[in-house]
Amino acid sequence: MSYGYTGKILHVNLTTSEIKVEEPEEQFYRTYMGGSAMGMHYVLKETPAGVEPLSPDNVLALCTGVVTGTPISGQSRLSSVAKSPLTGCIGDAQGGGYFPAEMKFSGFDAVIIKGKSPKPVYLWMHHGEAELRDAGHLWGMTTGDAEDKLKEELEDKRIEVLQIGPAGENLVRFAALISMSNRANGRTGMGAVMGSKNLKAVVVRGKQKPTIANPEKFKELQKLGKTNLEPTGMDDFGKYGTPDVTSPQNKSGGLPTYNFNSGTFEKHEEINGKTLYDSHLRGHERDEQNRFGRDTCFSCQIKCKRVSQIDEGPYKTDAKYGGPEYETLATFGSYCGISNMDAIIHANALCNMYGMDTISCGATISWAMECWAEGKLTSEDTGGIELKYGSAEAMVKMTEMIAKREGFGKILAEGSQKASEIIGRGTEDYLITSKGQEAPAHMPQVKRSLSVIYAANPFGADHESSEHDPAYKAYPERMEQIGLTNPQEKLALNEEMMRFAMVTQHLSSAVDSLSVCAFIFGASFQLYDANQLVEVVNAVTGWDTDITEILAVGERRLNMLRAFNSREGIGRESDTLPKKMFKRPLEGGRSDGYVLDEKEWEAALEDYYRLCDWDVKTGHPSLKKMESLGLDWVVAENEALSHVVT
Amino acid sequence: MKINIELMGSLVDYLPDSERGQSVLILKDESTIADLLSHLKIKRRVIVAVNGDEEKGLEYVLSEGDEVLVFTVISGG
Repeated sequence: MSYGYTGKILHVNLTTSEIKVEEPEEQFYRTYMGGSAMGMHYVLKETPAGVEPLSPDNVLALCTGVVTGTPISGQSRLSSVAKSPLTGCIGDAQGGGYFPAEMKFSGFDAVIIKGKSPKPVYLWMHHGEAELRDAGHLWGMTTGDAEDKLKEELEDKRIEVLQIGPAGENLVRFAALISMSNRANGRTGMGAVMGSKNLKAVVVRGKQKPTIANPEKFKELQKLGKTNLEPTGMDDFGKYGTPDVTSPQNKSGGLPTYNFNSGTFEKHEEINGKTLYDSHLRGHERDEQNRFGRDTCFSCQIKCKRVSQIDEGPYKTDAKYGGPEYETLATFGSYCGISNMDAIIHANALCNMYGMDTISCGATISWAMECWAEGKLTSEDTGGIELKYGSAEAMVKMTEMIAKREGFGKILAEGSQKASEIIGRGTEDYLITSKGQEAPAHMPQVKRSLSVIYAANPFGADHESSEHDPAYKAYPERMEQIGLTNPQEKLALNEEMMRFAMVTQHLSSAVDSLSVCAFIFGASFQLYDANQLVEVVNAVTGWDTDITEILAVGERRLNMLRAFNSREGIGRESDTLPKKMFKRPLEGGRSDGYVLDEKEWEAALEDYYRLCDWDVKTGHPSLKKMESLGLDWVVAENEALSHVVT
Repeated sequence: MKINIELMGSLVDYLPDSERGQSVLILKDESTIADLLSHLKIKRRVIVAVNGDEEKGLEYVLSEGDEVLVFTVISGG
């Protein structure tokens, strides 16, 4: 009997309409534990080398983990992996809400999708069965409208829908997968992959609740979540959500401003968590934000999700499209020099309606704004839109044009790196991308170990792939659980900080394989620490895993992602940071004058490779490392790897 | 003695709303960081920087005019 997981993986070939169910052995689940690691197993097995990201041959894996759907905070997350149309590297995006748990209840742990349907379809997974249905009438609809229509025609308000919006249909390279009309598997263009397959949505419903191996222990861990609330501060975090970090980031000089030219935004208080809560969440007029302005994921007590509503004016916004996270407040806000909260809320809603990643969208616009400021773009390029820093009107207009691929939006829909290749004129000097993915709102100049993760992460710059530098000193007891006992001085970029980056990356990677929330389980501020994560896994599955095994799952997934890139001929040459981070000192505030030293940074990258057991010259994983993680099959089954993994 | 205090992020709720996270507090002489946190009723894990130095422990004795910054560390967002 399987505990926690259903033991069933759905395989869908959209070209042939063939649907199969695979029932892997327990060892398979123990090896990968779900999520991104499980998805990579299929991507590496089923995609040919050199696969075109938007071709039928690309494989999109949507995977839950072994604890998804159990009644404890932070477990309802879904991983999506496929080759990325934004970066040409492996793509990976995580998202939460109610869809992941409901997918488990529908009777499946994961769905592996390949091929291309001749016409738009949706996949209906329910009560252990699955079928493809016509979606011609849904094509072109916004996410909110399509979700309403599906609920109406399936006569069930409790279905959950993971879908693409018009941006995914239009193959915007940073299109997202959206559920609940406001939760995103945002990064690396997974929405464009789904769109290229003519798959509008995956719709799930079921009643198959996971069985828990040790209910008594599980109950204890549920209670621990309540006990941990106050000492970890997660109750306050729930109140203000991720936007809570906006002003602290600014104070440390780490709030990306004017396309990463400064770490300090003079108007940060106008876009911070308290302002959002006090004046913009639904219910704020009656001081009822807790009831109407906060939302959550399945069985999560934190309620960190924002709900905002604007009743009138140019930025009228429907509450069904949620509210902005910190990343969104920064990318559409400080990145662009914009402090108009209503405009940011509206841009966030547009991204959720049309299905786009708010980070890449806002950062692509801020890149265009810098190009405009430097005279590299003019109104001739933009069709008359003045892309000036601070122009909320231009930012909102451009967001919509990108989703629809209209006018200049057609070029920006390619992402900033490809757009700079199209435009030329030295616009590449203003990029803030790694591997072609726009940088999230944490600054490598301020968080130095994160700078190496931004560059070396297989799916491009990412802020949830490791703990950030200040956490090493701030949480010594928790860091000790994963063998980190030697915190370094601020701004240090030495071997110990690379060890911190790598070990916490392994834990974050395990979190994305178990498909649990990085705000609930982790090595620093989270509700549950690393050892408690192990206890949750054991209570649910009945396994006797430990932190060493959990870290190895994370390392296994990281090496699978890395090996995918190696197979595609992508190695050390792609592990880079934007030029400006080495050349242009930050201006103003606490980080005034901060700039990365290229020589010091390259040495740190090499330290990181050595610790990972990756080849320092090429950046490829070593054969020894792959074998030690049980990944020799990856090398054996991918001929292109045998030349580079040695 | 008087100390100048600034609370970051959600910690602003530990001071009256009108203070917007910044205040001058009057504490007994020889109060420690632990006394300060207890005065503010902060029970969660926080980082306290005194005059820009984050190394001071809970037993550090504050002095008249100290600039105290209280914040939390979250990876991500």
